[in-house]
Amino acid sequence: MATKKEEKQFEKERKAAIKAREKRMKEIGLEKFLTPDQIKYNKRQKVIGAVWPVFRFLILFGLCFVILYPLIFMLSTAFRPNEQMNDPSIIWIPKNFTMQNIKDTWKVMKFDKTLINTIILNLVSSVLQVATCSITGYGFARFKFKGKNFLFGIVVMMIIVPPQITTIPLYMQYAYPPKIVAKILTLGKSTKLINYGWTMYLPALFANGIRAGLFIFIFRQFFRGLPKELEDAAYLDGCSPLYTYVKIMIPNARQSFLTVFLFSIVWYWNDYYVSSSFFTNNDTVALMLKNLNTTLAKTLFNNQSVSVRQIIVWLEAGCLLSITPILVMYVFLQRYFVEGIEKSGLAN
Amino acid sequence: MSKEKTKAVQTSENASPAKQKKHVLSYEKRKGLYGYGFIGLWAIGTIYFFIAPLIMSLIYSFNETEVKVGGMGMKWIGMKNYVNAFRKDQDYTLALVDMLKNTALRTPLIIIFSIFIALVLNQKFKGRTFARAVFFLPVIIATGPVMDIINGNMSTGGYSGGSEQFSTMFEANLVDQLLNFLGIYNISDKLSNIINSLTTDIFNLVWNSGIQILLILAALQGISPASKEAAQMEGATSWEFFWKITLPTISPMILACVVYTVVDSFVDPGNKVMTIVLNKSTNWQHGYSAAMAWAYFAIIGVCLGIIVAILNKVIYYEVE
Repeated sequence: MATKKEEKQFEKERKAAIKAREKRMKEIGLEKFLTPDQIKYNKRQKVIGAVWPVFRFLILFGLCFVILYPLIFMLSTAFRPNEQMNDPSIIWIPKNFTMQNIKDTWKVMKFDKTLINTIILNLVSSVLQVATCSITGYGFARFKFKGKNFLFGIVVMMIIVPPQITTIPLYMQYAYPPKIVAKILTLGKSTKLINYGWTMYLPALFANGIRAGLFIFIFRQFFRGLPKELEDAAYLDGCSPLYTYVKIMIPNARQSFLTVFLFSIVWYWNDYYVSSSFFTNNDTVALMLKNLNTTLAKTLFNNQSVSVRQIIVWLEAGCLLSITPILVMYVFLQRYFVEGIEKSGLAN
Repeated sequence: MSKEKTKAVQTSENASPAKQKKHVLSYEKRKGLYGYGFIGLWAIGTIYFFIAPLIMSLIYSFNETEVKVGGMGMKWIGMKNYVNAFRKDQDYTLALVDMLKNTALRTPLIIIFSIFIALVLNQKFKGRTFARAVFFLPVIIATGPVMDIINGNMSTGGYSGGSEQFSTMFEANLVDQLLNFLGIYNISDKLSNIINSLTTDIFNLVWNSGIQILLILAALQGISPASKEAAQMEGATSWEFFWKITLPTISPMILACVVYTVVDSFVDPGNKVMTIVLNKSTNWQHGYSAAMAWAYFAIIGVCLGIIVAILNKVIYYEVE
């Protein structure tokens, strides 16, 4: 195998050879070698090759700007003193930078406590969710049993049915669960599960967490794409299906596990609907951010009603605080988002 | 008598191969049981966390509900909630029609845009990694509450966030000026309206198509470079290659994207119908809200069914 450096070298040499050949051909006269159609085709390719990169750059640059615009705006506002918000002479770069907004918002959001709380909730739920969804996906991908199509229909239903339909009955279930279960789960403190992390962990543990249907679907597609011979060899050696799954399938599916895990973390991080339904004082970052303008008005403006314009610096600071952890994760792991999806079998 | 005999013969005939294959069958059966084992956890969870609440909310929708200590008080009123939603509620039907129109308009736009961007991002050029990273950024941000602040949804009056400010940059005059510059004056109001709505919507378009781009890009990776080379040898232009090879190959993924886009726009808690449903539910009218949600869900189901049925006819499935 050639190394990457060598490959680059080969590519260079190949291109140089092609160029040299074209030059020779031109000197003798192209008509001798190519039909008129081919000449026309080559010319067209050349023009496209010259013009297209410019267009591509313009399009991508413009669209990247559209995407990055709110983030740049966020950065510009979060460090800007509030008085300078109304200064017409400032568009992007404020006259002086301040950390005051960040500090205020940190205090209002109780960010240290909230962050730790959210991270624990996220990690536990995501790990549980990925584990159980992968097992379920594997079951659907590789085993034949009665009613499989019907059960898979339910998985598809789980993707389509909006969570808003089931929220209220679920709330009742969490609020009035079997008493023994609640006592055990909350260590005897309460007969309700509302406000406990269990409202997130329990569904995740049973492969019914946020967007679980989608994850089961992805895992099924992925496991179906792996060659069957992998397991047959293990079965011949007398391994049980569960052992085969743990020892053979999981190592082969590492990439797809990572991708799904990342997605799971992102969706749990961003979720405010489910958490706002089941938590009243168990705070997550998304929930805090959702209520930020009311809490800001309460703490900074003595409950006066304020327009968004007056508190925009704090809002943007809050945004910045809450997306920073996930953004950092994204910067380090973004290649897995792409490569993982490519290999996760979703491609087929 | 004879009937019984034939029956007996049949059963014995049926039984004998079963006896021969006994070992195979039991193995298959055992594997089937393992299958149940693998999905068992999910099945239990689904009954408790999905099916039961679903049925419960269906029951709510036929009742007048009242929240009490220790449970939900219910009074059977039949279809009244549904009738009320469509007959008496002025906002609901309007919001529903609006929603359907919006989705019908936006879905094709998002799909075409994502295909285009995915094609571009699939080419080799400098800075591709960066461009990809930027285009997938909405995937991690757009589902969260940050989007609300960015969109300026938090307050109806006063200052708004990025989206509003951004769209003013593309305000009507700019398009008109561009057309004027090109020597086109007042071709028609409709056309300039369409152009306007497109340009003002570009922010939402880009921010809502992260996942779709990701999916289509993944599908594009599945096209072997050999086919591209072969097409070039035959003298196919990129345009022909796109229509004859690329599009059929990625068509199953396009279906997935269409379904995802439609579901996503229907389920989004920010859309009008969802807002009404959630408002009713926060006003303690759970039965009424459940009826609205179920009617809405039925409509989504029908729409999706129609879309999938139509697209399935066009889609090209590779025979394995």
